[in-house]
Amino acid sequence: MESESQQRIYSTKLVEALRHVRQNSLPTSKSPSGREIRHAADRVLAVAAKGRTRWSRAILASRLSLRLANSRKHRKAKPGKVTGCSRLKRPEKKRSLPAVQKKVKVLGRLVPGCRKVSFPNLLEEATDYIAALEMQVRAMMRSPSSSPVRRSIGSAPALTCKALA
Amino acid sequence: MGPKEKLPAHRVRTVILPAFRKVGLVPLFQQWSSSRPLWICLSRLGSLHLIVRGPRFLGEGSVIWGNYVRIHPYPARARRNRTRSAPIPGGIQRIVNLTLENASSFTALLELPATQAVELLHLSQSEEGTQAPPSGDIFQGIGDDHKPYLPSFDGNLTFPSNRALIEAAAKFSVFAAGENSPETSSVPSNSSANLGKVKSEPAETDSNPNSSQPLVPDPTVENKTQRSAKRKEQRKRAKGLRRRARTRALKKLRKLPYRHSELVAARREKINARMKLLQELVPGCSKVRLCLLDYAAFNNGFVPVTFSQKRCFCGKISGTALVLDEIINHVQSLQRQVEFLSMRLAAVNPRIDFNLDSLFATEGGPLVDSNFPSMASLSTVSRNPIQWNREQYQQQCPFDALHQPFWGREEDNHTFHFSRELPFES
Repeated sequence: MESESQQRIYSTKLVEALRHVRQNSLPTSKSPSGREIRHAADRVLAVAAKGRTRWSRAILASRLSLRLANSRKHRKAKPGKVTGCSRLKRPEKKRSLPAVQKKVKVLGRLVPGCRKVSFPNLLEEATDYIAALEMQVRAMMRSPSSSPVRRSIGSAPALTCKALA
Repeated sequence: MGPKEKLPAHRVRTVILPAFRKVGLVPLFQQWSSSRPLWICLSRLGSLHLIVRGPRFLGEGSVIWGNYVRIHPYPARARRNRTRSAPIPGGIQRIVNLTLENASSFTALLELPATQAVELLHLSQSEEGTQAPPSGDIFQGIGDDHKPYLPSFDGNLTFPSNRALIEAAAKFSVFAAGENSPETSSVPSNSSANLGKVKSEPAETDSNPNSSQPLVPDPTVENKTQRSAKRKEQRKRAKGLRRRARTRALKKLRKLPYRHSELVAARREKINARMKLLQELVPGCSKVRLCLLDYAAFNNGFVPVTFSQKRCFCGKISGTALVLDEIINHVQSLQRQVEFLSMRLAAVNPRIDFNLDSLFATEGGPLVDSNFPSMASLSTVSRNPIQWNREQYQQQCPFDALHQPFWGREEDNHTFHFSRELPFES
């Protein structure tokens, strides 16, 4: 779905972002963890989506709120409330069982920012998100590989999933 | 303001005015006659309403409000209000008749506190379309004092037919819409003059769309695109209205469409189209033809999926749940891949700070000659660590950190391990 130009744009932006992450982590002299890089890559992806999609807005928003939360945490460390798990107190009722609905919820959780989105919109968001993820994977795989082993992106995950399963 | 005249004001106050107060109308002008009193009221929001008495629905713009028909300036709202009627205390009609006979006047009403003024119009169906007795008759009963206040209307105030009333209502909508709240304060003083002006201008740009536009398009005639276009039009027009009218009009538009089956079909198409796109993206389902989804599942309630499984021509079972399964798996695998790749980049990057540009651009970079099997190892990934000689790899390529079969939680341990061991190259 994504054109070659978009891929190039994303790659360049990704490089920039990675460099920023590098510079930010250098003073502490620790290599950036994979998580930070992943977040940076997601952010760049969201920026590349230009905010037309819901998940991109959610990613960007979550970054901001995370930063705020972190800064607040650094300022004062509040003791957490000890409330206990409410589920233990109350017997958990069985939710409605329709499988489709469960899967829709799972999908909603996977796509960032789409938990309470209607089903057709969720499908649309998932479409965009899958395309964006594929572009991200392609861009990241391209970088430090000498002989770029071009496989279809679908086969590897299928294999790995089966290996894991 | 004219000389104050004593009405049977107590009657008006106790019965008629409260009724109007409930609806929030302030009378501005009243045209009395034995048969057709015409009241023009100002609502709290500043929109003008014509109040006419009539037993039933007169037209697009009219609203039956108890015994009285309110010619509403916003027909969309009027239609919705049709079923709603304010409780009018019984006997109003009788009282109105009495007051009519007593020839209460506009000025007398104006004296009344604004929130209490009520004007009731009396329009009988039988007189539709017929020229009412000239307005001069009305005022005969009124004292001469009041005539000077209604001279401009003598010629203009013929008893309107329904269409004329609606046009007047439309004009009032122009009047109301064109001038916002600062105007409304001056309305009471200007209404008399303006009314004549407004009525004498039959062609207003806004009134025509208001009065002439069919608000209930015939669904059988139009197809969906026309309908959606029309709805967009309606929406645009709704946005031009004022706040309360706008929200009501928009709500009404949202609650459409005209037939349930069409609505269902529209949703079905939407969902199907998107599932098709998804299936093309997700590799697992590409060969499987998109079977009919179970639409009941996506309507208001979700239904168990067992009956939605069908066998397509290639022998695979496909259905909503399975397609969704595939989609979920694909998204999860892509996300895992991204994590893995970011891990790799984190390990790689300490060595190649400044060659990244070239790396990404040329897709090969300075590492073409390194013979580490890049991603090939991934294809044969397994839980067992790959057997390889660390020293050899260290010499040749800095990327042996990548050769770890790390899935799951092994990643961090491995990267730590190898990044410590690898010698830094300046």
